[in-house]
Order: sequence, then structure tokens, then C-alpha cells
Amino acid sequence: MKIKLKLYGSSKMLSDKEILSIELPNNSNIETLRKVLSKIISKKYLKKNLQNLCKTSAFFSEDDEVINDNYKLKNKELISIIPPIGGG
Amino acid sequence: MTLHTAIVNAEEDKISLEKAKEFIISKKNGAESIFIGRVRNENSGKRVTAVTYDAHDQAVIKSFQSICADAKTKFNKSSSIFLEHAKGYIPVGEISILIAVSSGHRDEAFKICRYILEEIKHKSPIWKKEHYTEGNEEWLPGHSLRPKEEIK
Repeated sequence: MKIKLKLYGSSKMLSDKEILSIELPNNSNIETLRKVLSKIISKKYLKKNLQNLCKTSAFFSEDDEVINDNYKLKNKELISIIPPIGGG
Repeated sequence: MTLHTAIVNAEEDKISLEKAKEFIISKKNGAESIFIGRVRNENSGKRVTAVTYDAHDQAVIKSFQSICADAKTKFNKSSSIFLEHAKGYIPVGEISILIAVSSGHRDEAFKICRYILEEIKHKSPIWKKEHYTEGNEEWLPGHSLRPKEEIK
């Protein structure tokens, strides 16, 4: 299955695109997505700057609610990654 | 209408103090409190030239409305609130956030202003990337929205 991951804040260092397409095993949840993202980060030069991204980020569903690690992802679902925030 | 919230995209518009003052003025409210946040030229010993703000627009507006509604309930239901936050590339000296409040009395006006600012820092999905004089840039650390029980 594939999901679309919309990038915000520091996660934009992952790609020049606003939305990343990520291949996941069928029936994946957010916990699996964290592991896959962690592998992507460890393969790139980004490791130094983004090593805590997977641990500290929340994820939003399409209706802007925080979803937990057990949330079952659907094929082609759009998810937002929400790194630690700091406006104002 | 006693509440205005917006994300202002720097490529399209600027945050306006005059607009905020006009919005909050009311004969019922004798106190006005205005907080203006501007991009400053230094942070942790680094010389800053600008900040790029990123935002999850839809979630930010939801959080702004919820925070302002809470502030009204907590301090004064008749208060008027104007809240705008910038998005995009903001050079040093320009406004990044403006909170304007009018209320019956000064105490509530000050408290509402402060409450909104502190809540935004912990609830609204907004991010800052600083640009430095040396040409490098850095996303700043912040407050995690991940459920606490999941962080080991």
C-alpha cells in the first residue's frame, strides 16, 4: 500500500516536494510509518538534523486530528507529519 | 462579530496594526491590550536576517478559534479579539504575530492577550526556520504534539 505524507516544518528537509509518497506493507499503522521514515532518514545526509523527527513528531489525519500509533492507515490516505511546533 | 483570526501569507499581504485597532474598538470596552511580535536580529548568539514561518493553515485556524473561545469563557465573554500570524519569509523587524484585545477592564485585556500567546506556542501547528547572516538556516526546536504516553 501507499500513503501520501504532507510535510511541515523541519520534515521539509526530507524532500523538495510538499507531499511524499511512501510505500508501506499492507495493514500498516502509524508505528510502521515511523519505522519506515526512520529508515529513510538513516539512509540520507539528514540523519544529523532529523534524528529525533520520528520520535517527536505527531501525525494528523485528513480532518486535522492527532492520530496515535495504533491508527490503521488506508491505501492512498493523506497524512500530515507534525514536527514539534513553535509559533508566536 | 467579536473574533477575527487569520494566517497572513507574506507573499500576499502584511499584518496590519490599523486593521486590528479598528476591529477591536467598542464603546462597551474600556481597555485595549495589543501584543506585537516582530522578528528580531539575534537568537542564541546567532545573527538573524529573517524567519520563514510554516503553518498547517486549517489546523492553525481551528486552534486559534478554540484558544480564543477558551480565553473569552475564562476571562470575559464580551471581549473582542483580533489574532493574526504571519506565514512565509519575514525579514527582521517585521510583524510575525499580532494579538489585539478589547475588554471591559484592563486586567482581563492583559490576561487574554497573554493567555492566547502562551497557548499558541503549545497548540498551534506553526514552525520557524531562522536565516542567518552567514547564509545558513535552521528549523527551531519546539513543543511536541505527540501523545505523551507514546514517547518512550
